[in-house]
Amino acid sequence: MPMCWTRRGTKRNERRRPFLALLCAVFFLTVPGPGQIYLPPPPAEQPSDYGKVILNSHSSTAGPGPVVFDHWLHRAKFTCRLCHVDIGFAMQANATGVKAGTNRQGFHCGACHDGKRLFEGRPIFAACSDDSKGKECDRCHSLGKWGVRKYNYDAFTAKLPKGFYGVDWMAAENKRKIKLVDSLEGISVKRVPIQAREDFTIKARLPWVHPILFSHEQHSAWNGCELCHPEIFPTARKETVQFSMFLNIEGRYCGACHGKVAFPLNNCCACHPLGPFWMAGKLGKTPDWVLFP
Amino acid sequence: MSQPIMIVLFISAGLAALGGTRAIGGPSLRTAQSAPVKESWQKEFEDTCSKTQDAMTFSQEELTSLISRCDDLQPQIEKLDETRKKVYLRRLKMCRGLYAYVLDSKRNEKK
Repeated sequence: MPMCWTRRGTKRNERRRPFLALLCAVFFLTVPGPGQIYLPPPPAEQPSDYGKVILNSHSSTAGPGPVVFDHWLHRAKFTCRLCHVDIGFAMQANATGVKAGTNRQGFHCGACHDGKRLFEGRPIFAACSDDSKGKECDRCHSLGKWGVRKYNYDAFTAKLPKGFYGVDWMAAENKRKIKLVDSLEGISVKRVPIQAREDFTIKARLPWVHPILFSHEQHSAWNGCELCHPEIFPTARKETVQFSMFLNIEGRYCGACHGKVAFPLNNCCACHPLGPFWMAGKLGKTPDWVLFP
Repeated sequence: MSQPIMIVLFISAGLAALGGTRAIGGPSLRTAQSAPVKESWQKEFEDTCSKTQDAMTFSQEELTSLISRCDDLQPQIEKLDETRKKVYLRRLKMCRGLYAYVLDSKRNEKK
């Protein structure tokens, strides 16, 4: 019994006590950030609700009720860059200032949802149009309204490859199940295709974790350069950016997207593909199973 | 030509100018929508910010020049209406920020 260890009256236990205290002190004082081991990331929601944004800056007061925006539906069709750089959606919910008027002017949702622009041969319904006479309003202004959404997550993603958590979007694109649009005529600036950026590794701060394998190529293809630099990653100078899981969980650095829209932070091996050092060589190519609760 | 006929012709011409161009205005409207006439600031914005994908290939002088062009654009964009100003200032900020970021990294490389 462990209690026996600390029972008084035994010379052996008395001798052990300072050693144990010293061991504990060394462990807590020298291992950098041991608390990170025990701090689980925020609990992940259902994949269908993951990345859901409720827009309610004006719509409740204006009448039709809050807008429910599903990231999964739009990210299956468009790059992050198109909406967050070219169209100008902020990275924080309700920071863009979307209004019915701005949509009608052809900004924000109205940049695509104008009733004229074609996607896969069909016109995209007009957002906040006076012509729709309320028929289409509920497609977006759908919070708390049952059965008004056109697309259902399970049906929409049925044929898309699944990963550790919901759809594996990288696999979906690699298998050509989705083809993301990166340019919007009349809105996007004409530019040359981005040159593939080289992937690189980032040394983990914790001594027991293998380095991060960062897919610069995939990130630059979806985000362009300016979505991440300099707003999220403000400097290229080495050793000046101190990543940590705490900061990621706070929504900084990788946490600006991962944990909100991109795969959750508790999918450790998606970034640390070799996992912790004690697992080196034991994980296969799909080591998604190592995760925190 | 008598005065009433002149008036009728004048009114007809006026109506044709209004309704007629609208009637044939479908295609032209579509053309105008697909390729709207761009203002000078917009052309400059597109030219300046179309190079972000290549930013790493530019020299420090080129990057400095691009940053300067972004700075010159800012007051012009600030004169636009509220929504356009908000959208394009954000885009300009991202574009300028990237050039400054790359310039900083290039300067740091040389040290």
